[in-house]
Amino acid sequence: MSFGNLFSNYEEAVAMILFGIGFSNLLLQKNLIKKIIGLNIMDTATYLFLALKGYIEGRKAPVVVDGVQSVEAYVNPIPSGLVLTGIVVSVSVTALMLSLTIRLYRRYHTLDLDEISTQLKKEGK
Amino acid sequence: MQGLLLISIGLPAVAGILLLVLAFSEHLRAVGGTGVKHMRLYLFVSVMLVASVLLATTAAWTGDNSVVLFRLIESIPVYFRVDEVGRFFITIVSVIWLAVGLYSVPYMKHEGGEKRYYGFFLLSYGVLTGFVYAGNLITMYLFYELITLVSMPLVLHNGTREAVTAARKYLFYSLCGAYGGLFGIFFLYRYCGSLDFMMGGTLDAAAVRGHEGILLMVVFVMLMGFGVKAGMLPFHAWLPAAHSVAPSPASAMLSAVIVKAGVIAIVRVVFYVIGTDFLRGTWVQYLWMTLALLTVFMGSMLAYRERGFKKRLAYSTVSQVSYILYGLSLLTSEAMAGALFHVAAHGLIKCGLFLTAGVFLYRFGYTRVEELEGLGKEMPKVMWCYTLFALGLVGIPPTCGFISKWYLAQGSLHSEIPVFSWLGPVVLLVSALLTAGYLLPITIKGFFPGEEKSRENRKVHSGEEVCQGKEIASSMLIPLLVLAVLVLVLGIFPITLFK
Amino acid sequence: MDFVCNFPFISIILSLFSGPLCSILPGKWAKRVNGIVIIVVGILSAFVLAYVTGTGEAFIYRMGHFPAPWGNEIRIGVLEAFMGLFFCVIMLLCMVAGVREREAQIEESKQNLYYVMVNLLLCSLLALIYTNDLFTAYVFVEINTISACGLIMIRQNGRTIEAATRYMIMSLLGSGLLLLGICFLYDLTGHLLMSNIKEQVHILAQTGQYHIPLMVSVGLISVGLAMKSALYPFHAWLPDAYGYSTLSSAAILSSLVSKGYIFLLIKVFYRVVGFEILTGSKVANVLFVFGIVGMIMGSINAIQEEQITRMIAYSSVAQIGYIYMGIGLATQEGMVASIYHVISHGATKSLLFVAASGLAAASAGRTSRELVGSGYRNKLAGIAFTVGSLSMVGMPMFSGFISKLFFAQAAVGHAHKMLPTFIALAISTVLNAAYFMKMVICIYSPRYGGDTTGENTIVGRVVFMKEQPVKSVALICFIVLNVVLGLNSEPIIRLIQKGLAMFG
Repeated sequence: MSFGNLFSNYEEAVAMILFGIGFSNLLLQKNLIKKIIGLNIMDTATYLFLALKGYIEGRKAPVVVDGVQSVEAYVNPIPSGLVLTGIVVSVSVTALMLSLTIRLYRRYHTLDLDEISTQLKKEGK
Repeated sequence: MQGLLLISIGLPAVAGILLLVLAFSEHLRAVGGTGVKHMRLYLFVSVMLVASVLLATTAAWTGDNSVVLFRLIESIPVYFRVDEVGRFFITIVSVIWLAVGLYSVPYMKHEGGEKRYYGFFLLSYGVLTGFVYAGNLITMYLFYELITLVSMPLVLHNGTREAVTAARKYLFYSLCGAYGGLFGIFFLYRYCGSLDFMMGGTLDAAAVRGHEGILLMVVFVMLMGFGVKAGMLPFHAWLPAAHSVAPSPASAMLSAVIVKAGVIAIVRVVFYVIGTDFLRGTWVQYLWMTLALLTVFMGSMLAYRERGFKKRLAYSTVSQVSYILYGLSLLTSEAMAGALFHVAAHGLIKCGLFLTAGVFLYRFGYTRVEELEGLGKEMPKVMWCYTLFALGLVGIPPTCGFISKWYLAQGSLHSEIPVFSWLGPVVLLVSALLTAGYLLPITIKGFFPGEEKSRENRKVHSGEEVCQGKEIASSMLIPLLVLAVLVLVLGIFPITLFK
Repeated sequence: MDFVCNFPFISIILSLFSGPLCSILPGKWAKRVNGIVIIVVGILSAFVLAYVTGTGEAFIYRMGHFPAPWGNEIRIGVLEAFMGLFFCVIMLLCMVAGVREREAQIEESKQNLYYVMVNLLLCSLLALIYTNDLFTAYVFVEINTISACGLIMIRQNGRTIEAATRYMIMSLLGSGLLLLGICFLYDLTGHLLMSNIKEQVHILAQTGQYHIPLMVSVGLISVGLAMKSALYPFHAWLPDAYGYSTLSSAAILSSLVSKGYIFLLIKVFYRVVGFEILTGSKVANVLFVFGIVGMIMGSINAIQEEQITRMIAYSSVAQIGYIYMGIGLATQEGMVASIYHVISHGATKSLLFVAASGLAAASAGRTSRELVGSGYRNKLAGIAFTVGSLSMVGMPMFSGFISKLFFAQAAVGHAHKMLPTFIALAISTVLNAAYFMKMVICIYSPRYGGDTTGENTIVGRVVFMKEQPVKSVALICFIVLNVVLGLNSEPIIRLIQKGLAMFG
C-alpha cells in the first residue's frame, strides 16, 4: 500500500474524508444545527462515493435522447438510482431533525443538546 | 404409583396457591381483626397438610418411583425420583411441618395475615417435596430457586423495614448462590454423562481428561454457591438477619429445613453427580474442610457474643449446619452417615429451640437473653423442653445430638486425612463447649435467677385468651413436647434412622 | 407459484398503504384500521408460516417479476414467517394494552397520526424481515427509524423530544455507517441482492482478493446496526425514550424496533457475508466484547435507577448485550440462542412495560418509593410484573431461563469465549436479580419502612381487572406467552434451527 494509490483514487479518498468530517460533526457537535449540517455532509459523501462507483470514464448519462444506443455508451445507471433514493431519505430525515430542533428551541431557547439535558434535569421530571 | 409422586408435590402447592389467591383478594377489605373465627381456614390447612404429608411419605416409602413430568428442552427433562436421601429428608420435613403447623395456630392469630402465611407454608411444603424428589440437577435447581422464592415471603411477613431489608438480603444471597450452582450445572452438562443423580457420580472420564483443573474450580464454585443457603462462612450474613425477623414458626422452618436445602444440594452434587473419587485429596476438599471448620467455630463465637435470643439461635444454626458440611467434606461413608443424622438431629432440635423462643416472644414479647431470667418458675414445661433441646445441641448422651457428633468425630478420626483428622474433632469439641456456654446459662438463669425478680414487672404480651391460666396454649406446648420426645427417642434408638 | 406466496408482499403493501389512510381518518377509525391491519397481517404471516413449513424450503417472490440480478426480491423462509407472526402478535398486544394511556397522553388531533406511525413501523419491520435486497433494507431501516422517532415524540413533553432527538442522532450515525458499508459491498460485488452478493463474496474469499475492504464493509454494517439497536455505548437515548414515551410506544420500541435491526444483522451475516467468513473475522469478537460490556453496564445502570420504567429500559440495554454476545460467539448455537432471546426478550420486555404502567396507575408515581404495595392495589399487573421479572432473572419455567441455558450451551466448548461468557452470564444474572427482585419486594411490601406515623402513607387507588378488560386480557396473554415459551421451547428452537438452515 503506497500513497500513490490514495492519489490515483483521490475521489474516493475525498469522499471518505468528507464522510469522516460529517460523521464526527454529527457525533461531537453540541449545536443541533451543526449536527444536522454534519448529517448532510455525511450523507452527501456517501452519495459522492456511490456516484463515483457508477461512473465510467468517457460515457454519457444513462438518458436516452437520440434513439437507442448500445449499452456501452452509458455509465452504470443503478448507482444514480440509489443516490436518488438516498437523497429522498436524507431529505426526509433532515426535515424531521429540523422540526425536532425547532420544537426543542421553542421549549428551551437553546440549540445546545447538553444544555437542554441539564435544564431537563432541573425540571426534575 | 407415578401419579402419587406428582400429587404429593402438587397438592400442597395448589392448596397453597389457592390460599394465596384468597388472601390476595381479601387484602383490600379492611382486616376484621384477629377475633374473627378462622375455623374453616384451619380445617382446610390441616386437612391439606395431613393429606400431603401422608401422600408424600407413602410416595417415599412405597419403593423407588420415578416420573418424567415434561421436558424443558429435549435433553433436559423435569424428572422426579425417590431415593434414600429423599426418603430420609421428606420424613424430617414432614415431622417438622406438622409440629410447626400446629404451633402456628395461636401464634399466627396474634401476628395476623394467616392466609398469606399458611399459603406460603403449604406452598413451601410442596416445593420442598419437589426438591427432595428431584431426579436430576436441572429439576433440583428449579425447585431450589422456588424454595428461595416461596420462603422469602415468610421472612417478609410483618413488613417492617428490618423485615424488608432482611428479605432482600436473603433473596440476594440465595439467588447469587443459586447462580453459582447454575454456573456449575452449565459446565457439568458438558462433562457429565447425564445430569441424573446416581450414587457415585456420572462424570464422563473421557471428557474430563485434561480439564481437571477447571472442573475442580467449577465444583468449588458450586459448593460455595449452595453453601450460601447452608450459611457457610463468607456468605452467612443473611442467616441471622432473616431468621431473627421472621415470625418464630417461620424461623423454625427456615432454620430447621430450608438451610438444609443447601446441604442436600451439596450432597446431590458431590455424591450423586461428581462422585467422591474425583474430589478426594484435592485442594477443593481441603478448602471445603477448612471453611466448614472455620464456620463451626466462628458461628459458635458469634452466637456466644450475641444478646438477642433468636439471633443467637440463628448464629448457632450457622455453626451447626457446618458440622454437617464438615461431615460431608470428609467424603467417607461413616462421616456422611453422621452428617445426615445431624441433619435430622439439628432439624428437630433447632425447630424446638425456635419454637420455645417463639413462646417467650409470644407471651411476654421478650427478645433478649437477659429478659429470660426467672422464667423457669412460670413456664416450667417450656423451660424443661428448652433445656433438653439445649443439651441435645451441645451433644450430651441421651439425646440425638450426641449420636451425630459421635459419628462425625469417628468419621473424622478414621478418615486418615493429615491434620484434619484430629483438628476436626478438636474444633467440634470446642464448639460444643461454646454451644453449652451460650445455651445453658439461659436454663440456669431461668430456674435460678439469683436475686428475686419481681414478678409484677412481667407484663403479659399476648395470648391471654388462649392460655386461660395455663402456662401456654396446649397447641403450642404439644409440638414442643413431641419434638423433645423425638430428640430423646432418636438419641436412644438411633438405629431406626441408620438404614 | 402458489397464491400464498403473494401474502408477504400483500402484507407489506397493506400496512404501507394503511398508513396514509389513517392520516385522513379520525382517531377512532384509525385505531380500528390499525388493529385490523395488524390482525390481518398476522393471519397472513401464519398462513405463510404454515406454507413454508409444509414445503420445507424458502421461496422467493420477485417484485414486478424482473429476473434475479435486476429485480427486487423478497425471500421467505420459516424463520422470516415466524418472525412476522411473532412481531404482529406482540405489536397487537402492545397496542391493545396501551389504549387508555394513548388516549390520555396524546392530543386529540394527533391520535390518528400515531396509527400512521404504527402502520409504517409494521410495514418497515416486515420489509426488514422479508427483503432480499440490501438497499431496500437500508431504505426501510430509515423508515423504521423515522416512525420510531414519531412514536417517541408523539407524547409531547421535553423529555420525549430530547430523547427523540438523541435517538435520531444515534440512529443517523448508525445508518450512515450502514449505508457506507452497503456501498462498499456493492462496489466490491456489483450486486444488491443478498443471494448474488453472497456468491461474489464467496469467490472473493476463495481467491483472497479484497480481504480488507470486505472486512471493513462487514464491520461498518455490523457497527451501524449495533448502534441502531442500542448496543451498550450507544444507548444514551434509550432510557428517556422508553421511560417517558407513551406505554405502547415504549413496549413496541423495546420489544420490536431494536429486534428488527438485530434480525437484519443476523440475516446479513448468514445471507450476505456467509457464516464461514464471519467466523474467521474479528468482527464477531468485537460484538462479543461489546455485548458482554453491555450486559454488565446495563444492569449496573439499572440498579441505580429508582424509576421503574427507566429501570426496565436499562435492563433492555443489558438484554441487547446478551443478544450481541450470542451473535459474537459466531457459532450456529450462539445464533440460535440469540434469536431465541430476541423472541423471549420481546415477549418479556413488553410484558414488563405494560405491567409497570399498570402498577404506576395504581400509585402516585413511578419511583420505587411510590410503588410500594402497588402489587396489592393492581393485582394482575403485580403478578405480571413478577412473572416478567422472574423471566428476566432466569428462573426456570420462564422463557429467560431457556435463553440463558442456550447461551451457556453455545459457549461450552468454545476455546476462548467460554469462560468470559459464563462469568458474564453469572454476573449479569445476579445483577438482574438484584434490581428486579428489589422491585418485586417493593411492590409487595405492605408499607414502607414500617412507619406508624402515617406520614408516608402511600397514595394510590385500587385498580380492578374489570375496570380495564382489554389491558387485563393483554397482560394475561403476555403471561401465557412467557410461560409457554419457558415450558415448551423445543418446537421454537427447532423452528429457528430450520429457519437458519434455510438462510444458507
